[in-house]
Amino acid sequence: MQIIILSWEYPPRIVGQLASYVKNLAVHLVKNQTRTCVITYDDYLTGEYEEAEGVKTVRVTNPVRTHIGVLTWVLTLNQEVARAASNVYYNNDKQVDVIDVQDWHFIPAAVTLKKGLGIPFIYSIESLEDHRSHGANSPFNMAIKSIEWLGTYEAERLLVKSQWMRDETARQYKVPSEKIRIASSEPSKLAEEILENYKAALEKNK
Amino acid sequence: MSRDLSVMMLAWEYPPRTIGGISPHIYYLSKSLAKNGVKVHVVTCDFPGAPAHEVVDGVEVYRIDSYKNPSPDFATWVYLMNMNMQKEAAAITRQLGGKIDIFHAHDWLVATAGIGLKHVFRKPFFATIHSTEIGRRNGIHFDYEKMIHETEAWLTYEAWKVICCSDYMVQHVKWAFGLPPDKLVMIPNGVNPQVYAKSEKENLAEFRSRYALPEEKIVLFVGRLVYEKGVHVLVNAAPKVLEKTNAKFVIVGNGYMKDQLSSLANGMGLVHKVLFTGFLDEETLRKLQRCADVSVVPSLFEPFGIVALEAMAAKSPVVVSDTGGLSEIVKHDVDGVKVYTGNPDSLAWGINRVLTDEAYADTIRTNAYRKVQEEYNWDKIAQQTKTMYENILAEYSKSFWAQKTQ
Repeated sequence: MQIIILSWEYPPRIVGQLASYVKNLAVHLVKNQTRTCVITYDDYLTGEYEEAEGVKTVRVTNPVRTHIGVLTWVLTLNQEVARAASNVYYNNDKQVDVIDVQDWHFIPAAVTLKKGLGIPFIYSIESLEDHRSHGANSPFNMAIKSIEWLGTYEAERLLVKSQWMRDETARQYKVPSEKIRIASSEPSKLAEEILENYKAALEKNK
Repeated sequence: MSRDLSVMMLAWEYPPRTIGGISPHIYYLSKSLAKNGVKVHVVTCDFPGAPAHEVVDGVEVYRIDSYKNPSPDFATWVYLMNMNMQKEAAAITRQLGGKIDIFHAHDWLVATAGIGLKHVFRKPFFATIHSTEIGRRNGIHFDYEKMIHETEAWLTYEAWKVICCSDYMVQHVKWAFGLPPDKLVMIPNGVNPQVYAKSEKENLAEFRSRYALPEEKIVLFVGRLVYEKGVHVLVNAAPKVLEKTNAKFVIVGNGYMKDQLSSLANGMGLVHKVLFTGFLDEETLRKLQRCADVSVVPSLFEPFGIVALEAMAAKSPVVVSDTGGLSEIVKHDVDGVKVYTGNPDSLAWGINRVLTDEAYADTIRTNAYRKVQEEYNWDKIAQQTKTMYENILAEYSKSFWAQKTQ
């Protein structure tokens, strides 16, 4: 099985707790005989390509250096993510089974890859804009929410880390709760559980 | 190639959604390409009342939901719209079994959608640069403008060829983004004189009386009411024109300078002589262009100046500022009048030159009409475009992308 994980943070670039979570997941996926490629934002420390503990990492930068906000930065960066993921796809004899997109940032790329190349994706939710912004609903927050909604709509499955988040996601985005799965917090079981979800996504997509 | 060449064209406007010159450009280019045996799929923004999918003159037109996402500002709206456009275009391409040979984007407004599609499907990618941020704003002053400028630079970087509609624009784009000359291609914009010929036999006297008194000559401006179009230069020229000719200045279009311009006219005591019509539908506009005794294009920055060609096709004499693409379209004293850019005195002189000498006006009118038929003919432009596509596809077929994706 070939997996691509899209995450805007990955060690050594650590913004919040997502970076170490993704790192741990990727390493365990490899241990479970899953070929794993992480596509992330360039930290200017590590270089474009890296292979560590069996995990391939591709880091992309944004060709547009000047921005007026995080949204324009994210939306332009998505093209480089789509480019990097397409390169993995073509270099791997057009074989990428599932994409796992971590939080909202790279949902646009995941959706395009699904529509264009038929690769299903899982949307893993660490946090939601409504909680991060304390219910703010300016056009800026609503735009991010609309991207999160797109992720919940287009993903084969949603993965969350608690029952509370499952309820919240179902409530905010009107997602049928059977589409949302809780991943175990126990590291040893994590990869296995998540792999089952990947397989389910792949199965559904056939 | 056993099947027809297949192109997916991305544009943020296509009729009935018409904001600037890109909309008619895409309409005629795609239609004329279809006539020349190219299968064209246009993916564009939606418009109230227009269907999500239709076939127009042999062209497949898809209109995507472009207002679904709330946006804090115009640029963010553009990038969000691109997200939706890319998603839909990817789905359409997949439905066609990937049988799109070329992606072609028009301006930065569809840059990110196009760049992503190029890499996902690994096809040759073309960009037409109709206008640049650095030209529109006369420099890059703020982060907002810089971001757009860098997006444009990225678009030209990703494109196999960058197409411009005038020699002026080729030089401008080469300078603005530091492109190698062999990456740039000049293919002019076109105009379709037939649309004006249709209403030729109609009596327009009644129609004309809605805009001007019978004894008033109509001086027509058509365009967005924004700084670079130089409408303020025209308003400032009005008193000098009126010293010699009884004229009515009819200003068609909308834009952020509308209030400023009408208060300028007010302050100059020209309320009865300057008429702001707002945006007009295509049919009314064509009739008005045919009624105009002179059409004025006073732009400060003009990459091409399609509106001058339209006036020439409508057999209205033109007065243009000697800048950008306008300098190339008009030959002074032969098929139009050129005046100094941003100079109201010079503009007034040019307008009076046409309005006070009927024989002169007739000569430039006739020469201009012949020119649009011979040089700015869409069929010829489509053939040039098709040849460029075919040449690049031949180059592409030798690339590792072509071999890997087959």
